[in-house]
Amino acid sequence: MARLQLKNVNKRWGSFVGVDNFNLDIADEEFLVLLGPSGCGKSTTMRMIAGLEDVTDGEIILGDRVVNDLEPKDRDISMVFQSYGLYPNLTVYENIRFPLRVRKVPKEKHDEMVMKAIHMTELEDFMHRRPAELSGGQRQRVALGRAIVRKPTVFLMDEPLSNLDAKLRVSTRAQIKNLQSKLKTTTVYVTHDQIEAMTLADRVVVMNAGKIQQVGTPTDIYDMPANTFVASFIGSPAMNLVEGALEGGTFTGEGIRVEGLPTGPSGNITLGFRAEDAEIVDTGGQISAPMYSIELLGEASMITWRLGGALVSIKTNKEYRAEIGDVVQASIPASICHLFDTASGERIAL
Amino acid sequence: MSSKATRQPPTIRIMATSFLVIWLLVAAFPFLWTLWGSFKVEGDFFSKANWANALFGTLTQAETGGSFTGAGYEGAWVQEEFWRAALNTTIVCVFVVTVSLTCGTLGGYALARSTHRYAFWFLLFALMFRAMPPITLVSGYLLPFFEWNLWGHLYTTVIVLVAINQPFTLWMLHSFFKNIPKDLDESAMVDGCTRFQAFRHVIIPVMWPGVITTGLFSFLLAYNDFAVTTMLLSKENQTMIPKIASFLGTTQTKGNVMFAVSAVVSATAPLFVMVMFFQRQIVSGLTAGAVKG
Repeated sequence: MARLQLKNVNKRWGSFVGVDNFNLDIADEEFLVLLGPSGCGKSTTMRMIAGLEDVTDGEIILGDRVVNDLEPKDRDISMVFQSYGLYPNLTVYENIRFPLRVRKVPKEKHDEMVMKAIHMTELEDFMHRRPAELSGGQRQRVALGRAIVRKPTVFLMDEPLSNLDAKLRVSTRAQIKNLQSKLKTTTVYVTHDQIEAMTLADRVVVMNAGKIQQVGTPTDIYDMPANTFVASFIGSPAMNLVEGALEGGTFTGEGIRVEGLPTGPSGNITLGFRAEDAEIVDTGGQISAPMYSIELLGEASMITWRLGGALVSIKTNKEYRAEIGDVVQASIPASICHLFDTASGERIAL
Repeated sequence: MSSKATRQPPTIRIMATSFLVIWLLVAAFPFLWTLWGSFKVEGDFFSKANWANALFGTLTQAETGGSFTGAGYEGAWVQEEFWRAALNTTIVCVFVVTVSLTCGTLGGYALARSTHRYAFWFLLFALMFRAMPPITLVSGYLLPFFEWNLWGHLYTTVIVLVAINQPFTLWMLHSFFKNIPKDLDESAMVDGCTRFQAFRHVIIPVMWPGVITTGLFSFLLAYNDFAVTTMLLSKENQTMIPKIASFLGTTQTKGNVMFAVSAVVSATAPLFVMVMFFQRQIVSGLTAGAVKG
C-alpha cells in the first residue's frame, strides 16, 4: 500500500527520447491508467517503475524510498505482462506459488495464499493444468492470480487484455476492476484502448510522443480535452475537429458556420464537438453539406460529412434515412463546442 | 479416410515409396556392409578374386573354420589396446561437452538478452570462426604447443576442441534463447528472482531440449574430430578416430585393416544408441530452434 511518485523522469536511448520529463503523483489505492498510441512511452514508463528499464534522469519514489537503483525483485511490485509470461513447465498452482517460493515466504502459508488467489481468479477447475492446456482468458487469470498472491505495494499491468477476444475483454475488465477495489492496491495500468481507460481508471494519463498530454478523471478527459490530440484520442467515435476561422464570435469553415461563440479569441481555430451532442435538423443547421456516408450502428445511425479535409460525424436515431450526396443539415449549438488553437492544438478556455 | 482432394495419384505414391526405399538402401548399405564384413578375414572383405567372398566368407571358413570370426575385434581391442583410445575419446568428449555447454548456455543467454550492438558483431565473428576449417587453426597451434611442452596431452586437445566448438554452441544456444520470450525472465525478476535465479529456475527448465540438442552436436563434433586429434595427440594418447586412421595407415601388416574395420564398427555403435536415446529431445529441440515460439 503506497503512494508512487515520478519526478522529472526521462528515458533516452542515445538521441531518441522515449519518455520526456514525466511528473506524476499516484495516490495510495488509486487505479491509474496510462493511455496512448503505441510507441508513446507508456510501456517504457511502466517498465521503469518495475525496474526492468533504467531511468536516464529523475526519481521514482515508492512509498518513502527512491527505488531508482533497486532491482525489480526488491521493489515489492507485481506485474501482469501482455503475453502473460507464465512458466510453461509449471502447473497453474505452481505458477501462482512461484513468487512465494522465491521470496522465501514460510512454506506453511503457501497453500492458503495460493488457494485464496485461485478463488479470486476462479481458477479452481484448472489448478493442476499447465499453461499450454489453458485458453487465453484462463492464462490471463493465472497471470492475475500470480500478481495478487502476495500483497505487493503496487500492481503493474501492461496491456493485459490486448490478447483476448472482444467479449472476454469486457468480462475480464470487470473482473480486474472488482479485484482492485477489493484488494485496494495502488495500480498502474497501461493500455492503448480508450474504453478500457475510461471504464477502469480513477485517473487517466494520456501520453503522446513521450510526453504527458493530460492527467485527469475519465470525465475530465472526456468533457474537457486539453488539446486536439486528447480530443481525437478519447471517445468512440473521437471528437469531430474542423479547422476554420473565428471572428467576432462566429466560426466559419467549409460547410459549417457556428454563431454565438465567445468573442475573445480570433484567428485560426479548430472547432471540436462530439458526435452524440449534435443532432440532425431539417432547416437552420450550422452544418449544411452533402452527406458523405451513413452507417448503421444498431442503436443509432452515424451520418458523416466531409468538411474541408476532415470527416465529421454525428449520431442520429436509427430510423433516419438519406442518400449519399443529399444535402443534410445538423445543428451544432455553441454550448457543445470546444475551441482549440489550430497552430498549437491547445484548448482555448471559454 | 483421406478425401479425394488430399489423396495422391498412385503413380506418385509408388514413385515416392520406391525413392524412399532406394535412398534407405543407399544410406544404410555402407554401414551394413562394414558390420557384416567386420566378422570376416581381410582376404574376404578385400577380396580381389570375388566380391561375393565378403558375403559368404569363403576364406574366413578356410582360415578359421567358421564363417564368422571375431579376430578383427580381438586384435583391435586386446592386441592394439583400442580400449585406451575409447577411454581417451570418452574423456575428451565429456570435457568438451561440459565446458562448451557451460560457456555456451551462459554466453548464449547473455547474448540473446543483450541490447548492445556488439552482441551482433560478436555472433557474426563466432560464425566466421565456425566456418573456418579446423586444420587452419591447428597448424598455428603446433609451434607454441611444442615450445611450451603442451603437445600430445588430452587436455590440450580438449581446449582446442572447445575453442573450435564454442562458436557453434554459442550461436545455436543463442537462437534457442532468442525464442524464449523476454517476458518470461522479466516476470520471474518481478516475482522476486535475481537475473541468475530467473535463468536457473525459469529459463533452463524451458531450455532443456535446446541444451540437449546442442550438447549432442557438440559431442558429435568432438567424437568425430580427426584434424585436431590426429595433429595434437601423441600415439599413447590417441582417441578412437586417429587410432582407426593409424590402423589403416600401416597396411604392410596383414590384419591391421581388419582391426580398422572392427574399430569403425565399435566406434559407430555408441552413436546409434545415443541418437536413439535422445531422439525425442533432438526432434523437439530442432523444431524449437526452427519455429518462432
